Amino acid sequence: MNLQDSCASINSSETLSTVLSRGTGKNIAVDQTEEKFEQRDSDTTACQSGEERENPSVVTPFLVKHYNDQANIPRDNIHKFCYRHNPDIVCNKEADERVMRSIQTELELLPSRDRMAISHVWLIFAAAPHAHRSLILKGLLSQCCFPQLLTISQQINQLIRIDFIATLPVEIALKILCYLDCKSLCNAAQVLRRWKELADDDRVWHHMCEQHIDRKCPNCGWGLPLMHMKRAREGMDDKDGKRQKTATGEVRKRPWKSVYSERFQLEKNWRNGVYLSKVFVGHTDTITCLKFNRKHLMLGLYDATVKIWNIDTGECIRTLSGHQKGVRSLAFDSQKLITGGLDSTVKVWNYHNGDCISTYRGHDDAVTSVDFCDKTIVSGSADCTVKVWHVDSRTCYTLRGHTDCINCVKIHSPSNTVFSASDDTTIKMWDMNSNQCLQKFGGVGSNGHVGQVEAVIPFVYKGNDLVVDVDESDSENVTGHQQQHEFALRLVANATATAAATGDDRDCNLPTELPDNLNYPTHLLTSSLDNTIKLWDVKTGKCIRTQFGHIEGIWSIDADNFRIVSGAHDKLIKVWDLQDGKCLHTFGNKASVCCVALSSHRVAAGLETGNIKVYNFND
Amino acid sequence: MTKVIIISSDDERFPVDIETASKSLLIKNMIADLKPDLGDGDDEDFEIPTPNVRANVLSKVLEWCEHYKNTVFSDEDDEDARKSGGIDSWDRNFLKVDQEMLYEITLAANYLNIRQLLDTGCKIIAEMIKHKSPEELRKTFNIVNDFSPEEEAAIRKENEWAEDR
Repeated sequence: MNLQDSCASINSSETLSTVLSRGTGKNIAVDQTEEKFEQRDSDTTACQSGEERENPSVVTPFLVKHYNDQANIPRDNIHKFCYRHNPDIVCNKEADERVMRSIQTELELLPSRDRMAISHVWLIFAAAPHAHRSLILKGLLSQCCFPQLLTISQQINQLIRIDFIATLPVEIALKILCYLDCKSLCNAAQVLRRWKELADDDRVWHHMCEQHIDRKCPNCGWGLPLMHMKRAREGMDDKDGKRQKTATGEVRKRPWKSVYSERFQLEKNWRNGVYLSKVFVGHTDTITCLKFNRKHLMLGLYDATVKIWNIDTGECIRTLSGHQKGVRSLAFDSQKLITGGLDSTVKVWNYHNGDCISTYRGHDDAVTSVDFCDKTIVSGSADCTVKVWHVDSRTCYTLRGHTDCINCVKIHSPSNTVFSASDDTTIKMWDMNSNQCLQKFGGVGSNGHVGQVEAVIPFVYKGNDLVVDVDESDSENVTGHQQQHEFALRLVANATATAAATGDDRDCNLPTELPDNLNYPTHLLTSSLDNTIKLWDVKTGKCIRTQFGHIEGIWSIDADNFRIVSGAHDKLIKVWDLQDGKCLHTFGNKASVCCVALSSHRVAAGLETGNIKVYNFND
Repeated sequence: MTKVIIISSDDERFPVDIETASKSLLIKNMIADLKPDLGDGDDEDFEIPTPNVRANVLSKVLEWCEHYKNTVFSDEDDEDARKSGGIDSWDRNFLKVDQEMLYEITLAANYLNIRQLLDTGCKIIAEMIKHKSPEELRKTFNIVNDFSPEEEAAIRKENEWAEDR
């Protein structure tokens, strides 16, 4: 683009004669460094005022010709000058004082005639157009002996140091900066004013945000939490929001760098375990389920009520009563709340005014889990069935196949499928269009759970960097597994779970390879009373990773793109890295943990004693 | 075989194959627009002047094009893959040049629209910047600090959050 060749040597249209008549060599100095010229002022001015006018040498006509030769120079600066001399580009090539001083000293040792001759050589070179300069240099180089060439080659590397960022076209400079990590970018911003402008540019940081927020960057392995709820709130408060109205009413955008740094700080807190914890006290009965968003924390209790708390202030806002027995499960969005109770019903609530809008009856035993999406409600029950309630058409389908109590149901809306986790140690994937079972997760062959499965979370993982267990084919491990399995069979012997490995497989002859469907979730996370969290490949139906660490059964897990949080009977809350499956933090409690929930900056847990613990990583 | 003759700013002529020349999207489009039947018959050679590229840079760029003339860059439209991909060892070696040459190759790749070469050039420059302190950066690129000590302290504070993960 602005690469150019005609390296004009003067950028003023003044003719040489006006310059010379003023006797200021400095004004014609454009090449290399001004200091160089300043230093030879004494010599050149002396000779110019003296003999040169009377005895015009070849020098003067050469200078006059080339300093005035504007004819073949293109109009725009980009073609007129090389990037070093383009007045549009600030070049920061620093004068090397040390070298200049030594030139001065050496020059002063010479007789005046020699000084003048040398100065002429420089002057002619300075005035020469690019092609001439090349010619002069070629000639000089061919005269050099090896020691002189060595001097040149040693100096070249020191001299050719270019400020790429400030001198390249802006779009290329930004492209380069986009390849940097955030620390390098922050360092670059401290180099120079121009670097700061570019390294703080919104386009660069927007790219950084795109690469890191809510996903793991393939380059650096870092991912930052989404925090969209926080942003939405800030937008409403009009304080420090991404969009902020200025006095003139136009929308002022918050810089992406600050968006990035805020999330970066939060992620650092997550990794370093920096948080504030609060305990909400107010119930004495066991908390069975808990969910929260940016405003509300909702929980279901054995005393048949639902309590709604303000998660920021820690006040209990509302109590919903209506279930005949304990509330076992809940799900809510901005308008409605859906609950499932031990009284075998599913209820829909307007939680803003506390009204129960409708009640769904149909299960023969306790409703242990509910989920919803648009106008579809899914419920799982101790009667071993999953029911899909289509609210609009007022139809209900029953999904049969599990041989024991269902503990958790989850809708995966993009693929219109439902996942159910059961006491029979398996998880099933159902198609809501055909109401058929698509996949079964469990059994010894697929390295499944050996205890009751309490929770399932389907998700899509975009990267291919999930750390999985190595295939254990050596005999020692196999026997270990068998022992574990036998132990588990005894563990669930009281329940009817022995059927899991036999009868159940007949009507649902799985696992098999699922057909390709872009909308299916890629993976599942499950937790079980066998103390493990398992990661499954949905397509093959195989467990690919088992996370150990809890020493008693895990009641509940929640996860986002980066983390898994688990709560167990051993009174521990653990935070795990989703990608590598390592346990990051362990928090102890006074009672066993019945339910946990996770957001981009909070963990909430409900305890058996009725207390709620909230860990906030954003302070 | 019909050749494309690329002429540098200093009037040096570089005859190359159509495939090699077509690595430059600029030249490829130029051929398509001006001489779509090039290479069909025994046409005359097609001359393309590149007034922004000097001969020693052009020869280097064409060396790159020649090396990759039969390579189809599979991820050409996948922004993400291009960003995260490493630097090919041949490219790394090819771009082991002084800063001035790297500078001019990058500019030429931009002008001639050779995306892969531009990407690689930018990645190499980015590597020169990575993991250096502001002072080291100034040294590497011969930059004179234009911040006052107060400003420098303020900017350091502003960027402190990125230190030590």
